[in-house]
Amino acid sequence: MTRTSVRSAVRVAVVAVLSIAMLVPMYIMVVNAFKPQQEILLSPLGLDLATATTEHLAAAWQNTSFPVVEGYAVTLFLVLACNVVAIGTSVPAAYAIARTPGPMFRFLLFFFVAGMFVPAQIILVPAIFVLKATGLMGTLPGLVLFMASTMIPFTLFIFSGYIRMLPRSLDEAASIDGAGRQRILWTIVFPLMRPIVATAFILNALSAWNDFVSPQLILGPGSEFKTITTGVYAAVSTYTTNYEIVFPTLLLAVVPILLIFVVMQRHIMGGLSAGAVKG
Amino acid sequence: MARTTTSRRGFVSSLANGLMTIPAAAVYAGLTVVPVGFAVYYSFTRYNGIPSQPPTWVGFENYARVIQDPIGDLRPAVVVTTLIAVVGAFLVNGAALALALLLRRTTPFNTFARVVMFYPHVLSALIVGFLWQAILGPQGAVNNLLESRGTSSLPFLADPDWALATLIVVIVWAQFGVQLVLYLAGLQAVSPELQEAARLDGAGSVQVFRHVTWPALAPTVTVTIVTSVLSLLKVYDVVLGLTNGGPGDATQTWAYEILAVSFANNKVGLACAQAVLLVLVAGILSFTIIALRRRAEEGAEAVG
Repeated sequence: MTRTSVRSAVRVAVVAVLSIAMLVPMYIMVVNAFKPQQEILLSPLGLDLATATTEHLAAAWQNTSFPVVEGYAVTLFLVLACNVVAIGTSVPAAYAIARTPGPMFRFLLFFFVAGMFVPAQIILVPAIFVLKATGLMGTLPGLVLFMASTMIPFTLFIFSGYIRMLPRSLDEAASIDGAGRQRILWTIVFPLMRPIVATAFILNALSAWNDFVSPQLILGPGSEFKTITTGVYAAVSTYTTNYEIVFPTLLLAVVPILLIFVVMQRHIMGGLSAGAVKG
Repeated sequence: MARTTTSRRGFVSSLANGLMTIPAAAVYAGLTVVPVGFAVYYSFTRYNGIPSQPPTWVGFENYARVIQDPIGDLRPAVVVTTLIAVVGAFLVNGAALALALLLRRTTPFNTFARVVMFYPHVLSALIVGFLWQAILGPQGAVNNLLESRGTSSLPFLADPDWALATLIVVIVWAQFGVQLVLYLAGLQAVSPELQEAARLDGAGSVQVFRHVTWPALAPTVTVTIVTSVLSLLKVYDVVLGLTNGGPGDATQTWAYEILAVSFANNKVGLACAQAVLLVLVAGILSFTIIALRRRAEEGAEAVG
């Protein structure tokens, strides 16, 4: 064997071992979701097909503190609604900021970008008082607006950077043809922004999907609306050593997002690096 | 021609453009900027959050309390958060950079490995916490395995020092995939000709890395350090799932202190003072890192 082939064999072996280490927690979660408590405690890694049961998975599915289907519906709604608000408002604002010269608009960009350094969950406590004062506390619109407001700084920042790279001559040609500002934006500029809109959508979707603190505090623990994360918390937090509840519940909570990730991995990971390069 | 058009209609045009920023500004100002203002205001008051008892102005009392820390509430949390941010940032970036160098070439095997390294990031941090708690808890999978082999169990989550170390490792496990993707993107931008030229000049792979790849990665390193430190400073969900702050207050982070201790006990003024300080620390730290990295990045331009 040559030196390079030895090195690449070592490299493959190291990566393979690390990959397996990364996957062990998922393996433990999957096999134990089909076992009774006693067996989980006795042999956490094995799966005896003779005693495997879907009983606990069914129980988790029917658990009233985490209504799985509704949880997914609410979470999916949040992902879409937050993105509509964040992207819908950021596109015109970013366009205006990118296309207007002068210190006013540079300051405006700075004003928005400063929000990227404010952690959402830290500002949640005072935001609750704003939501209370406007009657939006405990409502889905209130939650959507809060989450969207935390997404706007980054979304607007990458949008304005992207629009700046689009040739101005496009806008000017359309404007000479008599198209109005809004028409130029939505029929000419916006379609060209597809890659960056996809990036923003993916990153915002991930953060909305995984957000726990905002729905937990804004909707309240007793809310009729449960997201996946608040549902899991309600179902698991008081029974963390009852593994018949923990593993099946977690399995139900992660399988769909993992499937989406595997199918979309190229776009999700690509979107992340695109966002960082622009950001 | 374009310039005369803009200057003639300059003011009207700016005004119309200004109007286009209003929807975004309204949502952002209403639910991020105004709350920051409220946080600053409440941080100077004693307030329990009950509408019938309005906040009373107490000046710097909350800040004095944070600094003197009579019952030791925030100080341990600051220590825990600092450890998580410093140790975590080193581990996250070290692991991510090492793997990025290993997985640099796009082969089917490497693509698979990248997906495997990244997947924990698509899981919510709360779920990651619960999962690892079921694996490393006193009754968890690992300890049951150890006991069945006759070895004594390990206090992953039961001993204060172990619990903090476990928390950091779990956070690194869940987060380094993001930085890995960023490093991979950064490596794409490193000029292959330059590396090849260095190699032809007789540089070994360590030298190529040190003198070509690493300097050219400087802008990426800035982004990965800032993003990892920012996200490590606000760690909360994973703590809730993994240890719920325990044992004692061994794993209570700054964000945990704000949300699960001060705010949960209706000390809104104190919670806001702690939040304002955290936002300040996050902002100052980010700008300091960016400023310190500027020199390294200028080097990158010279190399690139």
